[in-house]
Amino acid sequence: MTTYIIRRILLLFPTLLGITLLTFFLIRLAPGNAALLKGGGGENGARAMTAEQREATIKLYGLDKPAYVAYADWAWRIVRLDLGESITDHRSVAAKIGERLPLTISLAGSALILSYLIAIPLGIAAALKRGQFRDRAISFTVFVLYSIPSFVAALLLILFVAGGDYLDLLPMYGINSIDASEMGTFRWLGDRVLHMILPVICLTYASLASISRYARVSMLEALGQDFVRTARAKGLPERLVIFRHALRNALIPVITVFALELPVLIGGAVIIESIFTLPGMGQLMLQALEARDEPVIMGVTTLAAVVTLLGYLLADILYVVVDPRISYE
Amino acid sequence: MKTPAVTHETYLNRLWRRFEADRFARYGLRMVILLFIVAALAPFLANNHALIRVADGRITFPIFLSLEPIEWRFLLYLPLAALIYFFRRHVLEHAGFSLCVVLAAVAMVEIVLAISHPVNDPSNDRDRPASFKLLPPIAYSPVESTPDQFAPPSWKHLCGTDSTGRDIAARMLHGARISLSIGFVSQSIALLIGIALGGTAGYYRGWFDIAVSRFIEIIECFPSLLLILVAISLFESQNTMFYIMLVIGLTSWTGMARLVRGEFLRLSSQQFTYAAQAVGAGDARVILRHLLPNALGPILVTVTFGIASAILIESSLSFLGFGMQAPTPSWGDILSESRRYIDFAWWLAFFPGLAILVTIMSYNFVGEGLRDAVDPRLRIK
Amino acid sequence: MSLLRVDNLGIQFGPPEDPVKAVDGISFEMMAGETVAVVGESGSGKSVTALALTRLLASPPARYVSGKIEFAGHDILRLPEHDLRGIRGNQIAYIFQEPGSSLNPVFTIGYQIREAIELHRPEVRDVRGEIVRALDTVGIRDPERRLDDYPHQLSGGMQQRVMIAMALACHPKLLVADEPTTALDVTIQKQIMDLLKELKQSSNMAILLITHNFGLVADFADRVLVMFRGRIVEAGSTSEILRNPQHPYTRALIECVPKLGQKQHRLKVIDYAGID
Repeated sequence: MTTYIIRRILLLFPTLLGITLLTFFLIRLAPGNAALLKGGGGENGARAMTAEQREATIKLYGLDKPAYVAYADWAWRIVRLDLGESITDHRSVAAKIGERLPLTISLAGSALILSYLIAIPLGIAAALKRGQFRDRAISFTVFVLYSIPSFVAALLLILFVAGGDYLDLLPMYGINSIDASEMGTFRWLGDRVLHMILPVICLTYASLASISRYARVSMLEALGQDFVRTARAKGLPERLVIFRHALRNALIPVITVFALELPVLIGGAVIIESIFTLPGMGQLMLQALEARDEPVIMGVTTLAAVVTLLGYLLADILYVVVDPRISYE
Repeated sequence: MKTPAVTHETYLNRLWRRFEADRFARYGLRMVILLFIVAALAPFLANNHALIRVADGRITFPIFLSLEPIEWRFLLYLPLAALIYFFRRHVLEHAGFSLCVVLAAVAMVEIVLAISHPVNDPSNDRDRPASFKLLPPIAYSPVESTPDQFAPPSWKHLCGTDSTGRDIAARMLHGARISLSIGFVSQSIALLIGIALGGTAGYYRGWFDIAVSRFIEIIECFPSLLLILVAISLFESQNTMFYIMLVIGLTSWTGMARLVRGEFLRLSSQQFTYAAQAVGAGDARVILRHLLPNALGPILVTVTFGIASAILIESSLSFLGFGMQAPTPSWGDILSESRRYIDFAWWLAFFPGLAILVTIMSYNFVGEGLRDAVDPRLRIK
Repeated sequence: MSLLRVDNLGIQFGPPEDPVKAVDGISFEMMAGETVAVVGESGSGKSVTALALTRLLASPPARYVSGKIEFAGHDILRLPEHDLRGIRGNQIAYIFQEPGSSLNPVFTIGYQIREAIELHRPEVRDVRGEIVRALDTVGIRDPERRLDDYPHQLSGGMQQRVMIAMALACHPKLLVADEPTTALDVTIQKQIMDLLKELKQSSNMAILLITHNFGLVADFADRVLVMFRGRIVEAGSTSEILRNPQHPYTRALIECVPKLGQKQHRLKVIDYAGID
């Protein structure tokens, strides 16, 4: 087992190499120079920075070096876990990520957990009454939800529930109210939770469809297996047949898929962050892209890639752990 | 006691029967077909030129003059669809092939024509007097500005007008073409790349498979937003649609590739594959004629969901400001504009939002119906 | 006093206007300790009958349209669910055709046998010991260690032995064996049938063997019921039937079994036109 894991981790490196190389070259390909854009680009840029300052910036960030040299520099630094500094404000990339990552993780993490907690029971409930009203109703509802684009849902929610013309139950932007720094810990926590409700709803509802359908199919398949008949023939009450024998088998694929969703914890929510004005990783990436801020783009991309690949590895490991029939290949 | 007659049912017949049994899937399919027809006929349904005009004793068809010849392409799709329908048995026999060929053909035509953009021809036939004229149902062009700005829905403008007086209903109809084109083309690209890479990886296995799998992972982890941004800024905005299609296609093939790879891995170790190889079938033949038709079910499902997803991505991009720019009528673009005026012009958000919702929902229903029809494991007990 | 008595049982599937009559009015009896074989081809209704004995058939889509099943004084078709479960696994036990898929892959075999014991024999103190004994009885070597194995780690023959052990754990009065050896290869078939014979002799358990293979019947069953299209077309003691089959279908079935030394060039095939 450990050799398998080691082998998989070793395979990560060429993949990471590919991703970072591709990203780097693409950034270089894009028109617009970070230094030029820094001053605001165009004429404003020329006015906001003197020529010397621009030259200095370019030199400092290696923007004058050919692509492969610059990439090698970056790669050498990243291996030592040095993410470099952001071109736009000279702050350490690691620090910038560090300020925004907890927010994105708490938002996306809550959404992820919540969606599984809601969707799995929904899928199982649908499977148990296959073809009947409950099944159809759940399927239909979940589909309509899936089809609503996130920005439409966000707009609607803001319009009706948050500071709009109708109800004013929840705050519509930001992650804390303006006077947050003056609140005691509990109030602050409560305030933050209130601010998180709408974004988390927007992030959760769409994935209810896929997870619940997956759970439903998996449960139906498990219920059709021979060992369910054996369990009944043994005299087990129906409740145990379903929830002990069938469910345990049905959950196997669902749990493993869970690990594949982890990457969303890093970058998933650009649109939601944009609409609700939340200072998260998505916004960071967006701003970095517009400013051609190489170090930040590379830093975020690398982080996201590492998490994604580790997520795949975790999914495979989970699969082996949870299903006794599978052993590492 | 009678013995039931043996019916000759092919895989696809059975698939179709199971699909039809699902009520939502049926409705979804009808909606999809309706959207396709509407998109195809859009220049005839919403145009400021008359279909037929009789004046000074002469009969003219202004509408055909106003269309660039390339607009006629959607007219070509209708006979193509009819052909497919009438020869469906032959088509279904070579289904794997046909699917790829049809989508590839559509994609190529669309790619060539994506470079076109609607002509802003202010001369309209509404006001020109004639002894008889037959105007299209919506007598406005999607890019024609009128002085009637921010008009709420009325008989004159069924869905109202926007900030420059453009008729929303016309923009919606033409927007359908854009969404569908983007959906179909991007998925055709994704389909071709996905089947090519995933299929060969699953069939040949070994180091080739390892290399392809790593490549798939690389593309998956790649920030597609970056690619879109670069693509858009590198090229003039007039051709945005082409690059959006390309980028979405180039970044969404990984799901298809993984799927096809998995299916081929499974199928290629089954007896029928060995049988075909033993008889001397070359690799290409085995892949195209034996393996691909068997993997067709899940592929169709993925393509359907992919189209829905592509439409969603395009509207999200337009919404964020990266996608189609005005005056091209994209649903996402209209929605994005609506953000500013939502207080008093609710129709700017309602209609495009509804259109996106219904379109995506229909494709999702079709996809789900296909998935249920295809899944051999869902035995009815 | 008969152990099991089936009276004019009728089971149908499909729409009531155009039903598939899986079981079309069959009646038979079994005594305690008796071994009865039900022989017929696929679709004859034998498996449906077997499952019906404890109402294991899902009731939609199956419909019990007529008849009565009496087991040890209980009216199976009208028994409340709770009492029925007390009979399943406890007084009537089953083994099925595909042992590999009949065992739950995510639980150890020890756990699955334990379930049966804890359910019906809560008074047993040393459950682990019981399990080991059960595994030993069916001929599994090194049962102490095997207990913690998962089904996929065992061969087909051993899996079927585990199924038998699980079925016998609560000392049932009737064992229903639905094609227990069809999925196993021939040498293992013989082993399993020998095991069943052994178990039959050591306890006073009645066995209902469902099979399509007359070859298994000869050495094993006391009586034979021949089923065809939902009806019992012939019934009698094994020796009578084998020596002197009356019904053309029975004759055809017997002739299907190839015999050593026969000089036929083609295997016999059943000609349905001559029956029914």
